[in-house]
Amino acid sequence: MIHIFDGAMGTMLQAGGLKPGGCPELMNVENPDVVRNIHEAYINAGSTIIETNTFGASRLKLDHYQLADRTVELNTAAVKIAKEAAQGRAKVAGSMGPTGRFIKPLGDLDFEEAYDCFKEQAGALATAGADYLIIETCIDIQEMRAALLASKEAAPGTPVICQLSYSEDGRTVTGTDPQSAAIILSAMGADIIGVNCSLGPEQLVPVVKTLAENCDIPISVQPNAGMPYLENGQTVFPMGPEDFGTWAPKLLEAGATYLGGCCGTTPAHIKALATALKGLTEPARQPRSGKLWLASRSKSVCIDKDLPTRLIGERINPTGRKKLAAEIRDGSLLSVKKEAVNQVKAGASLLDVNMGVGGIDQTAAMKQAITEIAQLTDAPLAIDTSDASSLEAGLRAYPGRALINSVSAEDARIAEFLPLAKKYGAAILCLPITEDGVPKTAEARLEAIRTIITAAKAQGLHDGDFLLDALVMTVSADAKACREVLHTLELYRSELGYPSTMGLSNISFGLPNRPLINSTFFAMCLAAGLDAPIMNPYDTSMQNALMASAALLGHDPNGLSFSKNEANLSVPKKAAVAKETNLDTLAAIKQAVIDGEKDEIVELVIKAIQEGHESNEITEKALTAAMTDIGKDFGTGRMFLPQVLLSAETMRAAFNKLKELIPASSEATKGTVVMATVKGDVHDLGKNITGALLANSGFKLIDLGKDVDSADIVKSAIANNADIVGLCALMTTTMVQIDKVVAQLKEAGCPAKVMVGGAAVTQDYADAAGADAYASDGVKAVELAKELLGEK
Amino acid sequence: MPVYNAPLFQIDPKETRRYAGLMKAADFDEQKIEDACQDARLLASPKGIWQIYDYDCQTQEIKAKPPCIIQGTKIGAHLAGCDKVILLSATVGDEIEETVTKRFADGEYTSSVLLDAAATTAVEQLADGMEKAIKPKAAAQGYGMRWRFSPGYGDWPIEQQPELIRLAHAGEIGVSLSSSMMLIPRKSITAIIGLYKEENNGQDTTATEHDLHGCAACGKLDCPSRKTE
Repeated sequence: MIHIFDGAMGTMLQAGGLKPGGCPELMNVENPDVVRNIHEAYINAGSTIIETNTFGASRLKLDHYQLADRTVELNTAAVKIAKEAAQGRAKVAGSMGPTGRFIKPLGDLDFEEAYDCFKEQAGALATAGADYLIIETCIDIQEMRAALLASKEAAPGTPVICQLSYSEDGRTVTGTDPQSAAIILSAMGADIIGVNCSLGPEQLVPVVKTLAENCDIPISVQPNAGMPYLENGQTVFPMGPEDFGTWAPKLLEAGATYLGGCCGTTPAHIKALATALKGLTEPARQPRSGKLWLASRSKSVCIDKDLPTRLIGERINPTGRKKLAAEIRDGSLLSVKKEAVNQVKAGASLLDVNMGVGGIDQTAAMKQAITEIAQLTDAPLAIDTSDASSLEAGLRAYPGRALINSVSAEDARIAEFLPLAKKYGAAILCLPITEDGVPKTAEARLEAIRTIITAAKAQGLHDGDFLLDALVMTVSADAKACREVLHTLELYRSELGYPSTMGLSNISFGLPNRPLINSTFFAMCLAAGLDAPIMNPYDTSMQNALMASAALLGHDPNGLSFSKNEANLSVPKKAAVAKETNLDTLAAIKQAVIDGEKDEIVELVIKAIQEGHESNEITEKALTAAMTDIGKDFGTGRMFLPQVLLSAETMRAAFNKLKELIPASSEATKGTVVMATVKGDVHDLGKNITGALLANSGFKLIDLGKDVDSADIVKSAIANNADIVGLCALMTTTMVQIDKVVAQLKEAGCPAKVMVGGAAVTQDYADAAGADAYASDGVKAVELAKELLGEK
Repeated sequence: MPVYNAPLFQIDPKETRRYAGLMKAADFDEQKIEDACQDARLLASPKGIWQIYDYDCQTQEIKAKPPCIIQGTKIGAHLAGCDKVILLSATVGDEIEETVTKRFADGEYTSSVLLDAAATTAVEQLADGMEKAIKPKAAAQGYGMRWRFSPGYGDWPIEQQPELIRLAHAGEIGVSLSSSMMLIPRKSITAIIGLYKEENNGQDTTATEHDLHGCAACGKLDCPSRKTE
């Protein structure tokens, strides 16, 4: 059946006397006739569903007008007016717009506060008799999730319509694509999903199509009348009713059966739309294949036998990893986040998240981990816990469709976990463990899985919600362990057809050369139908087995990718460029410094000493000579700062080795430099770079740090008998400190030369301040320091 | 929607290269750049906030309570024709900066400098992400956005930073000022964006009259990070 929504409300309220800056929802009690007339105009134009004047009638929005305590009153009045206007001719949808704030961690609004806000509004609308609840114009999937959960809780029997707004790039402002939205919201129990606002009908055709292809529920669409512009101070929407109407059949064909208008549309637009749809029948939707889809905020992943193997990264798990466990216990998630990013880089499509550390609040830890990982990567997540409250915390916090790892056939798990899967729209990893333990045979495992599936379907889960674990036992304890797993995989596929998973490494427990056993087992399992192993994605022997299996099993047609991988070629395409090996050791040291080969330099220094070179000779002929060349290359733009620093690091390693081997060589000979970033200035990277270059060019460096008082600089210069005082100031506001230091040094009779630098400092400024030199960069500073002391 | 912490799903290695002054370096190890971008992503705590105000472009007055007069002719010209302004602030937090400092102290000069460049890229990207979120809201009301402008650009005195901090409510995301007008944490931004009414079916006629944008507007021709088209 085709349903016709109404069009814009706000502009009609303004025409009806709403003052700029006034609260639109207050009209429900102060000018109900205006609102009623708008409803009637739309019904007369052909609307079969009208929306209440409650878009901004949530507590958080009404608070802007100091009307928060009238939330229930304004929503109730709105439904009453709409029902009076409809008189049974049209259904009434209770409109709920966004709160105007982003949910944490994207914004500062707590998920629970948003949830409570929507729950109050949804409850008021439903109690007053709304036929539908419509959550619209959302740009954040997490806010939509809060509103949908709240609506289901407050008004269990009322159908909920969920409409996001997409930008021209086809995503919501916070990155959600229509496919992921359809997967996430339909799984959570939205009754109708759709799109409204921000774009015109033409741009929304592909969005509607994608939504329809990714769920089985009806699709709604309410476009703007094009993009607005201003004419003589008035906001104008370019698309007229006739034009608007011509798009209706195309939106219907794309899959939308609930159609209406948003900004800039009028009863005339709705009339044109209704007329254009008259006599048309809705197109038959392709039933979906029941494939398993998971989604993050911005990406969907399908696990299926016809698709390449998906790796589920297992590394975010503190079990047996003392360092990671200790970090989590201390409240740090840095390693967890590193594992997330690195596993995705190594090829993981999904990430398993386990926060099972003893002695901590695991519920809070799971919530925090899920929240932070979801901000860092777009790979969908599996929530790995045996604790129902941790599971719910993770599911609630996750702005996507997660996988629950895991649900066994044990009564407690079925009773606690399945309702959570249904409520939050999660998929479940089914583990064939019964109250009696792990079934020995493949047939018994299949039976255990059937128990879980039957219970899950009774809870309202569907095909496409299941991933089956074949459960790997240790072959050293049970000779049949491998064969049973392979048989289990075959049975899963032939009897149930759902995709499969497993943790692999258990197979080799107690055996030597576990990598060989594991990778061989992996290849066998892939042939038997394993779709999504839970594994360590950094393991190269496993990755190699996967690559070879993909070629053999036809996932990599004709082994094309396999052939392109250089690791598989007997002669690498890019033959390593042979290094010049005929250099004498000192020349080699010089070249290593210039190339920044930190790993090679230490051995070269040892070799030079063994060959009988003096430490002086190494410094002068190799290290300092290198620095001179580097200075030239930098000056002429052939070398750049990070490369110079790489050379400085290499120099540093060389000097450190020299000092270690010949302690007498540790004396810096060229002079003493006292350096500081001036008072009030906290930028010290430039000063640090200059200091590092000076220190590695034979100067004795005394670095006083940043934000240093002039008196302290003078004191240190005198105490250390400084040859040079180096001052750094980055900003015009702190540059004046240079003048102060120069004056105080003179006053104290300090003979040190003064060299200055920093982004805002110029040669002119240095001259005016009475400094002896201005260095535009660190390399120049080394050159100038040598000159300054040469003059002495 | 005043608080928006745009996520950093990636940090642009090209921009990081540019900020590190490596644009013309032919053979610099790409892996080092990528590592820096990834480390920055792990260490950053992206936070952003903005507020919208009415603006009088004749008197250069932001109509806040109390009001604020913007000083400087270049910024005045840049905001000509605007009747609203957005004041925004963004930061990636101080953990990233602490790591930059620590690495340098440990002798890891290169990775320190590259991480610093990645952090700069990150905070700029964060502000770009915020603009992306603001744009549709402005467009829905018929407004176009001028590019963002910060104190210290052109002749806009940096002494107006305290006003920007106040107007953007930057304190709420932990951004403050040192006595010498430096933003703390160091990898932070304050900026103003002018909103002008789009006339003539979305064709912006005034924007083209505005002075050069970004690097092209800067006089430091030998800057190693200068964009070359």
